[in-house]
Amino acid sequence: MKVLKTEQLTKQFGGLTAVDEVDLEIEQGEGVSLIGPNGAGKSTFINLVTRRLEPSYGEIAFQGNSIIGMDPHEVVQRGMSKSFQTASIFPELTVKENATIAALAAEHGSFRFNFFRNQNSYPAVDELANEVLESVGLYDERENQADSLDYGNKRRLELGIALAAEPDMLLMDEPTAGMSPDETKSTVDLIKRVKEELDLTFLLVEHDMEIVFDISDRIVVLNRGSVIAEGTPTEVQNDPAVQEAYLGGVEE
Amino acid sequence: MSDEPRNATATAATDADAEVTGGFADRWASFRDREISTVLLTVVGVAVFPFLFNNFLDGYTQLATLMLIYGIFAVGFDILLGYTGLLSFGHAVFFGGAAYAAGIFSASVSSSPLLVLFAGTAFAVLMAWIVGFLSLRRGGIYFAILTLTFGQMSFYLAASPLAFLTNGENGFTSVDIGHLLGVIDIHGGVPFPLTMLVDNMLYVFVAVVTVLSVAMANRILHSPYGTVFRAIRENERRAEFVGLDVWRYKLMAFIISAAFAGIAGSLFTIEGNYVPLQSLYWTESGRIVIMTVLGGVGSLFGPLFGAGLYLYIENIVSGFETLGPFWHLILGIVFVVAVILFPNGIWGGVEYGQDRTMAAIRFTRENGIKAALRYALDLTVQKVKAVIQKIRSVPARLFGGEGK
Repeated sequence: MKVLKTEQLTKQFGGLTAVDEVDLEIEQGEGVSLIGPNGAGKSTFINLVTRRLEPSYGEIAFQGNSIIGMDPHEVVQRGMSKSFQTASIFPELTVKENATIAALAAEHGSFRFNFFRNQNSYPAVDELANEVLESVGLYDERENQADSLDYGNKRRLELGIALAAEPDMLLMDEPTAGMSPDETKSTVDLIKRVKEELDLTFLLVEHDMEIVFDISDRIVVLNRGSVIAEGTPTEVQNDPAVQEAYLGGVEE
Repeated sequence: MSDEPRNATATAATDADAEVTGGFADRWASFRDREISTVLLTVVGVAVFPFLFNNFLDGYTQLATLMLIYGIFAVGFDILLGYTGLLSFGHAVFFGGAAYAAGIFSASVSSSPLLVLFAGTAFAVLMAWIVGFLSLRRGGIYFAILTLTFGQMSFYLAASPLAFLTNGENGFTSVDIGHLLGVIDIHGGVPFPLTMLVDNMLYVFVAVVTVLSVAMANRILHSPYGTVFRAIRENERRAEFVGLDVWRYKLMAFIISAAFAGIAGSLFTIEGNYVPLQSLYWTESGRIVIMTVLGGVGSLFGPLFGAGLYLYIENIVSGFETLGPFWHLILGIVFVVAVILFPNGIWGGVEYGQDRTMAAIRFTRENGIKAALRYALDLTVQKVKAVIQKIRSVPARLFGGEGK
């Protein structure tokens, strides 16, 4: 079964076509990377899929159902999670509270009428929050303010938040941007581990080709809004159109 | 991976901390964090407040009552401003609206104080659902302006088109408050043991409602909603992308805060037997913002103190012989000083002092009294030097950089 399927997905900003009739299919358990030069439409594509932007036309189906017209949180509740380009956490809350919020959304859904119930009366939420922290190796930091973590740990916390609901699919927008080589390595290991453990399907947007070739099953190359190449890392590496887009684009 | 050794030291540090703190500081912290302690502290606070206020601060019971009423208003407002991070400039709609609803209800339906309180609060909740539904479509300054607009709209509605209900500019004068549960005269005196603390029944009634309100606010802030509200304040987009329906939670925060405003507004009517048109004016919305910020946003008790201090300056300081006429100015100075020195309001200052005291106790236990005194002396000298340095740098900063 296809986890994600887009048909003729298009987004125009005035006269500019940022995403141009993209057809993309992602299978269960597949790790797909989306690459392309700056301005190729990668971020716009991700924003369309997460429902932050309304497509001009085209179709997006998640788990076989159309998600056009849904709010972002509804898409998340259906099992599509997103990790942001910058470490997007709740800075003034503790690490544990950060995980608790994600656990609440996972256990209770998008909204619940329970403002007179003490938080302590939901042990399942607490348990899930602890599990999340353990899985990203931040359990010992749980009492600290999230803002006090170093950048690498903030990114790990963010990944933990995104994974709390055990999503069917994870969208990652440059998960290692701004990280030191050590931090990058541990994040890549973490992604590989959760992919195996959770049989996670992911769509990755990344500039670092080493990471892309390391963890993707398939690579999709976008240029000026359209898919110009698609295939295994080796196929894409040797594709003349890709080399043209990356190296020859300057002259035009 | 690099975080193994760091975690080890962190844990060790925490253990050592727990050992050293021990005793009083620890017991105080665990007491403070329990729900029942919060309620008990509030009960003790409101019980001794009028006695202290009347005897040592030139106060009178009627003002103490009013302070609690605005305290309830501010506690609710802080759920919206301090916890959810939404600045509403139109909460007079809910305070004044509830006051009018309570007054009209008492005159034409039932004069039972409890039913009047309920009717006023219900009206505020209904209004909040409508105003929130329309205003929360926009964020930040647009939200503030929209709420302000709704506030002024309701003021003009009450002033003229609805004057047949509200009695227009004269205010609603036909308030009719009966006996509590049919037997207790709410505007009368109190029976013997209570007379030692307070002199009228109205204060007791308002105090009981205050305790219940604080208990409710405390429970809400410790429910999943408390965490979700703070998450929305910190990072709305992330909250949306963990799968929370941010919009509905914001609406709930708005309605909850309006419910507290409604309780306060209804009590205001019960207390004064009169609803001034002023209660819907935009200055009322502004007052509650100042009270809450003054007391300390993002804390449970802070807003109570903010409301108290504001009303104290407005009613007591304004009566002082020489300073009196300048009470607005004094209020402004107090506000500026409080915000600069304690960005988290009076309560932030109290907590800071408490933390410092705890740290001092810990340090003394560890190193003995002598070392502690020496350390305190050093610190004071340092602070004084820093202040002098700051003052000396003022001319340079005012008249350009020659002072470098």
